[in-house]
Amino acid sequence: MSTRNEQRLWIAGTTAPAILFLALVAYVPIGYAVVLSFMKKGAFASTATFSGLRNYYLIVEEPDLWSALWRSVVFTLGAVVLQVTFGLVAALLLNRAFRGRTIVRSFFILPYLLPAIVVALVFQWLLNQEYGVVNQILMESGVLTRPINFLGGLGTAMWSVIATSAWQYGSFATLLILARLQAINPKLYEAAKVSGAGPLRCFWDVTLPNLRTTLVLVALLRGIWMFNKFDTIWLLTRGGPLKATETLPVYAYRLGFEEFDFGMAAAACTVMFVVLLAGASLYFKFSDPTREVEVGR
Amino acid sequence: MTEMTRRTFVQLTAAAGVALGAPAVARRAHAAPDKNRVLFVSEESNPKAIAVYEKINADFEKETGIKVTMEYPGFANIAKRVATLIAAGTPPEIVWYGAGQAMNLALEDQLADVGDLVKALGIQDNQRMIYKGADRSIPTSQQFVYGWYRADLLKEKSLQVPKSWEDYLAVAKALTDAPKIYGCIVPSAETGASTLLLETMFMKNNVHWFDWNAGKKQYEVALDRGDNKKRAIETLDYLNELHKFSPEASNYNWGELMSTYVAEKAATSWYVGARLLEQVNANNARIADATMPFELPKKLTEHYYLSIQGFHILDKSNVEGAKKYVRFFMQHPDVISWYHAVPLHIIPASRDMLRSPKYQDHPVIQKRMDVLKFLDASWGKGVPLYYWDGKELNPHIGLYHNENLAGLMLAMRNIKGTKSDAVVDFAADQVRKKMRRTG
Repeated sequence: MSTRNEQRLWIAGTTAPAILFLALVAYVPIGYAVVLSFMKKGAFASTATFSGLRNYYLIVEEPDLWSALWRSVVFTLGAVVLQVTFGLVAALLLNRAFRGRTIVRSFFILPYLLPAIVVALVFQWLLNQEYGVVNQILMESGVLTRPINFLGGLGTAMWSVIATSAWQYGSFATLLILARLQAINPKLYEAAKVSGAGPLRCFWDVTLPNLRTTLVLVALLRGIWMFNKFDTIWLLTRGGPLKATETLPVYAYRLGFEEFDFGMAAAACTVMFVVLLAGASLYFKFSDPTREVEVGR
Repeated sequence: MTEMTRRTFVQLTAAAGVALGAPAVARRAHAAPDKNRVLFVSEESNPKAIAVYEKINADFEKETGIKVTMEYPGFANIAKRVATLIAAGTPPEIVWYGAGQAMNLALEDQLADVGDLVKALGIQDNQRMIYKGADRSIPTSQQFVYGWYRADLLKEKSLQVPKSWEDYLAVAKALTDAPKIYGCIVPSAETGASTLLLETMFMKNNVHWFDWNAGKKQYEVALDRGDNKKRAIETLDYLNELHKFSPEASNYNWGELMSTYVAEKAATSWYVGARLLEQVNANNARIADATMPFELPKKLTEHYYLSIQGFHILDKSNVEGAKKYVRFFMQHPDVISWYHAVPLHIIPASRDMLRSPKYQDHPVIQKRMDVLKFLDASWGKGVPLYYWDGKELNPHIGLYHNENLAGLMLAMRNIKGTKSDAVVDFAADQVRKKMRRTG
C-alpha cells in the first residue's frame, strides 16, 4: 500500500469515530425529524404514513405557530439584551482591582453552574404569589397592597421568565466579556488619557470598540441558545398562563407530547431549525467570525 | 501530509457507519418477544409500591421462570416513555396507568384483548373499557374527584358542608379573607388540575362534549348546541364567580392544590383521591384531623370524573407472559400492601375489597374510617370520561382532554375575562378542527 493511501486510511480511521458519534447524536436525529415532518405519525402508532406537506400546511394555518414564533423572538431579544447588559456591567466591575476579586469572580459563575431545575424551583418559590419572598418584601415595605402573580400573570409571566434566564445565563456573558477586557492593550488607555480622555470617553473610544466583536459573538451564541430554550420556560410556567410564555420549543413539545402528534411536532421543530439556520447564515454573511476572537489589536 | 478529499472522507465514514450499524438493525428487525421476559412500565413509583412489585416479581420469576423488568417513568412521563418504546419497536408487555390514557393505545390497535382476564377476575361492568368489541383494560383501582375542607374553619363561622352550587359559593365567600386565606381553589390554567375541575363540574351540570348520532353511529361535537351550550355557559359563569374567592391560580396544577391548602392559604380544596390528606398528615399535622372530604356539589347530577387505573397489555409483545403475570399479581397475598402504598388515595376497583377487613387493616385507614365511609358512599357515581357522552366508547376525548382544553377554557374565562359563550364556541371549534385533522 502506498504511503499516500496509508495516510488516508490513518486519517479516516482516527476521525471516523468522532464523525460517526456526531452523526449519530446530531445529524441522524435532525434528518429523522425532517423526514418525520412529512409523515402522519401518532405517538402510539407503530407505523408512519407519508403525508407530503400536510403537517406544514396545518401548522402554518394555525395561529399558535405564529404567536409562538413571536414569543420566541420577544423572549430571545429580552433575555439576550438583559444577559449582555448584565454581563457587560459585571465584567467592567470585576475588571477593576479590589480585594477579594478572585472570590467575587468565582461567585459570578455560580448561577451558570446550577441545573435548570434548581433555578426554576428557587424562582418559583421566590416569585410565588401566596408565600413568595419577593411579594412578602414588597408587601411589608408598603410598595404593594396585593401580591403580584409574577409567573401566572398575563403581563408578568414573560418578563419573569426572561429575568430568570438573565440571572442564570448572564454570568456566561460576564466570563467572555471579562476575558476580552483583560486582553485589551493597556497602552490604548494610556494613550487615550494622554489625549485628555476621561473614564466615559475611554469606555466609548477604547473599551467598547474592542468589545464589539465579543459582544456580537455573545449575543449570537446566547440568541441561539435562548431561541431553543425549553427547560427553564417549561419548568417555570409550562408555557402559560394562556400561552403567554409558549415559545416555539414549548409549542413543539405540546404538539408531540400532549397532542401526541409526532409529525406536526417534527414540522414545528423543522421550522425552528430553519429560522435559526437563516439567522446563523445572516450572521456569517455579514461578519467575519475569525476576527471576532482576535485579541491585542 | 496528503490531503483527503471531502468525498473520500464522507465515503469512508459512511462505509464504516453501515458496517457498524447494519448488524444491530438486522437483529432488531428480526426480534420476536422473549417468552421469558416481561417489561412492565408502571405509573405508580411510590417506594412502598416499588417494594411490593419487587416481592411479587421475585415470586413470579421463581414460579414461572419469567423475569419481570420494571420501569417507573412517573405520572408526567409515562405516556412519553410508552410512545418511545413503541417507536423503537420494543413495546413493553404491560403498562399500568389510567385507562383514559391507555385508550390512546387502544385507538392505535396497540392493546391486546384481555377479555379472558376481565372475566376471570370478576371485573364490574362499569369499569371495563371496551374497544372494537374487546376488553382492553384490567382495572385494579380507581380515584374519585372530590373536595376537602377545614372543618374547624367551617365550625368557627357556623357554616354547613356545601351541598349545592349556591352553598359552595356562599361558603367560599364566607371563608375568604384575601390575601390571607381563600375560600376555595379554582385553578385556571392549561393544566390537568384545571381540566379535571371543569370536566367534573360539567358532569355535575350534565354538560356533554359530544352526542351519539345513532344513525351515523358516531359521536358528534355537542358542546355548543342547544341546552347543552346553556349549561356549559352556566358552569363557566359559576366557576368564574367561585374564582373570586380563590387565589388567581393561573399557573396552578396538582401540587398547588395541595400546597396552598397545606400552607393554610385556602380553607377548601379538592383533589383526585386522598393524596392531599397524605400531604396534610406529612406536612401540617395541626390541621390533619380537621381536614374532611366532601363531594363537589351537584347541580343536575351527582356524577364526577372517575379515574380508573389498571393493567394494559400490548399486542405485539409477550402477551401470554403478561397475562400470566397480571393473574399472578392480582391473586398474590401481598397485593393488599400495594393498595396500602398511599392509603385511601388509589382505592381498589372492587367495592368488596374496599369493605374487607384486610384492606381496612392499616393505621391510616383505621384512623380515617370517615374517609373510607365517604368513599363507600360516593361509590358508583363516577363516570370515566370516555363513557360520559354515551354507552359507546368515545374515541375523541383525547382531542380535548390530552391537551387540557377545559383548563384553557377556565383560563380564558377567569384570567382573560372572555365571555363564557365565546369560550364555549372556541372550544367546540377547536375540537371540530382537531377531528378534521386526525381524520
